[in-house]
Amino acid sequence: MPDKNSRHRALRVILVDDDQPRAQAVEARLRDVGFEVLTVIPTASGLLYQMAQRDPDVVIIALDSPDRDVLESLSVISARNPRPVVMFSGSGDTQFIRDAIRAGVTAYQAEDINPERVRAAIDIALAQFSAFNDLRAQLDDTRRQLEERKLVEKAKGLLMAAHAINEEQAFTTLRKLAMDRNRTLGETARDIIAILEKDKLRGRH
Amino acid sequence: MIDAARLPPAEKRSLRLGYLRLSDSAPLIMAQELGHYEKYGLDVELRREVSWANVRDKLVVGDLDAAQLLAPLPLATSLGAGGLRAELITGLALSLNGNAITLDQALADEVDAAGGDGPRDAGSTARALRQCLGNGRRHLTLAAAHSFSCHILQLRHWLRAGGIDPQRDVQIIVLPPEQMVDSLSRGIIDGFCVGEPWNSVAVQYGIGAVQATGYQIWNNALEKVLGVTEAWHQQHPATHLRLRLALMEACSWLAHPYNREQAVSVLADPRYLDLTAECLRPALTGQYVFRKGGPALALPHFHVFGRFQAGFPWRSDGEWLLQGIGELLGRSLAPEEIRSRVQRCFRTDLYREAARHLDLPSPGQDYRPPGVHDAPFAAGPDIELGPDLRLPLPDPRDA
Repeated sequence: MPDKNSRHRALRVILVDDDQPRAQAVEARLRDVGFEVLTVIPTASGLLYQMAQRDPDVVIIALDSPDRDVLESLSVISARNPRPVVMFSGSGDTQFIRDAIRAGVTAYQAEDINPERVRAAIDIALAQFSAFNDLRAQLDDTRRQLEERKLVEKAKGLLMAAHAINEEQAFTTLRKLAMDRNRTLGETARDIIAILEKDKLRGRH
Repeated sequence: MIDAARLPPAEKRSLRLGYLRLSDSAPLIMAQELGHYEKYGLDVELRREVSWANVRDKLVVGDLDAAQLLAPLPLATSLGAGGLRAELITGLALSLNGNAITLDQALADEVDAAGGDGPRDAGSTARALRQCLGNGRRHLTLAAAHSFSCHILQLRHWLRAGGIDPQRDVQIIVLPPEQMVDSLSRGIIDGFCVGEPWNSVAVQYGIGAVQATGYQIWNNALEKVLGVTEAWHQQHPATHLRLRLALMEACSWLAHPYNREQAVSVLADPRYLDLTAECLRPALTGQYVFRKGGPALALPHFHVFGRFQAGFPWRSDGEWLLQGIGELLGRSLAPEEIRSRVQRCFRTDLYREAARHLDLPSPGQDYRPPGVHDAPFAAGPDIELGPDLRLPLPDPRDA
C-alpha cells in the first residue's frame, strides 16, 4: 500500500520501550520536531496487533525488547502484511548502526518511506537513549560510592573492636592493606568484614 | 587428548558469547562450568540476549565475539532477510533437534478425539488437526519463534504432512519464545512451534499438549550453530579454533546421558537460564511428556549434542534451509546462488580442522544424500550418523 500523501504529512511513529521516563523523553522530542507519535507501548503487549491497527511509518524499539524478531517477521510481504518493514540502517552506515546498538535502540521503517525522512527520528532516539545511559551510569557510580563508604565504616568499626584501636588507626590499617594488595578500599573493606565476621561467629562457640 | 599449550596462541583471550534462554544453550554454559574455555586459554563472559536480532547485530558491531545462532540465521543474514545484511559463518553446529509443536489443550483434546496420537505418529496429529479445521470454517493462528528458523520450516512441514496449506489454511506469526505460553493461555494463539523448555512449560501448566517433536518431523536436523562474523574469524583464527575445541568438548560431555541431569541443575541456575529444573528436565534427560498427567516417554534424541556428527555443518542441510528461506521470502534463489552462499557460511573446513586436533573422525563429504535411514548407520570408518527420515508428505495427486 504505497502512501501517496506520505511526502506531505508527518511521519507516524510507534515507540516500543519498557522504560517509561526514557520513552516519555523520546516521545516529547519527536513531537517537538513534527513527528506524530501514534502510541508508546511497553514490550510484550501485542505489537503485531498495534502494527496492523495503526499502520506506522516508523517503529523505534529498545534493544531490551524481545519484540525485534516479531518486527523483522513483518519484512515478509503477505496478504496479511501488505506493507513490508525494513530495518533502518542509515543507508548501510555501519558507524550509525554501531552507535545505535551501543545506545540500546534500533528502528524499522515501512519500505515505501524515504529513509532520509526517517533519519531525524532515529537521531533523536539515539541521543535520548545515550543521555539516559549516561545518567544511569552516573547513578550507578553514586550508588557504588555510597555502598563503598558504608563498607569502609563497617570495616573500621570491626577493626577497632578486634584490635582495640582508634578510628584513625583503623583507617590507616585499612588503607595500607588496600595499597599492599593493590585493591580498592571498598574491596578490602568487604574482605575484612568477611574475615572478622567469621571470627566473631567462631568466637561464639 | 590435546595439549592446549601447543595450539597457536589466541589473538584475543577475553570473549563475549551470546545465547538465548533455551535448553539447547547447554554447550555454551557447560563449557564455562566444566572449565573448557579456561583450558583453552579463553576468558569467556556469557551474555543472555533477548532476541536473535540482537544477537546478530551485536555480532556485526563487535559487541559479541561469537554466539549461539539458529542454523538458518547465518544464511538469512547473508541475504539481509529481515534486518542487517552481513557475512556470518559457522564452523561448528552445537545441537540437533530440540523443538516441538504444541497446541492449546482444548484443541489438543479435539485432535485426540479425531485420532491424533503424537507419540506414535506426528503425521496423525496433523491429519486430525485438518479434520478439526472443518474445511476452512475455523481459523487458527500459530506462532513460531523466528521468521527464518527451523521452527517455522518444521511447523510448515508438519501442517503439510496433514494436508494443511500453511499459507492459506492457517496464520503463522512470530512471537518471542518466552511469550508463547502466556499467549497460548490468553487465547491469542492456538499453538506454536518453539524450542525447549517452552513446550514443557505449557504441558506442565496444562495449557497445551505436544503434537510433534522436531525429531519426528526431521530426524536429527541442524538446530543451533556457533556463529561469528567472517571478518572476526579472519582476525582471530586461533581464538576461533580454541573456542570450537572448548565447545566440542562440552558437546561430547553432553552426549553422555548420565551427565544430562547435572546439566539440568546448572542451566536452571539464576546466573544462566533462571528456570525451574522441572521444566528443563523432560527434554534434556530425554524423558519427554506430551501432555499433563501423561507418561514420560524415552526420547533420547530429543536434543542431540556431540554424537551422530552433530557438530558438522552439513552443506546439504544448509542448502535445504536456504531453499526454505527463499520460499518464505517468496523468492526463488538460483541453485548456483544457494550453493555459493552455503559454501561461504557453512565452513566444513573449520569443523575438520578442530576435529583433527581432538583426534575425532569427521565426514569426508560436505553433502549427504536425502534421508533413507530409520536407525543409526555407519557412513564411514568411525562415523556414525543418526536416523535421517522426514515426516512423509501426502502425495500431491491425492490432494
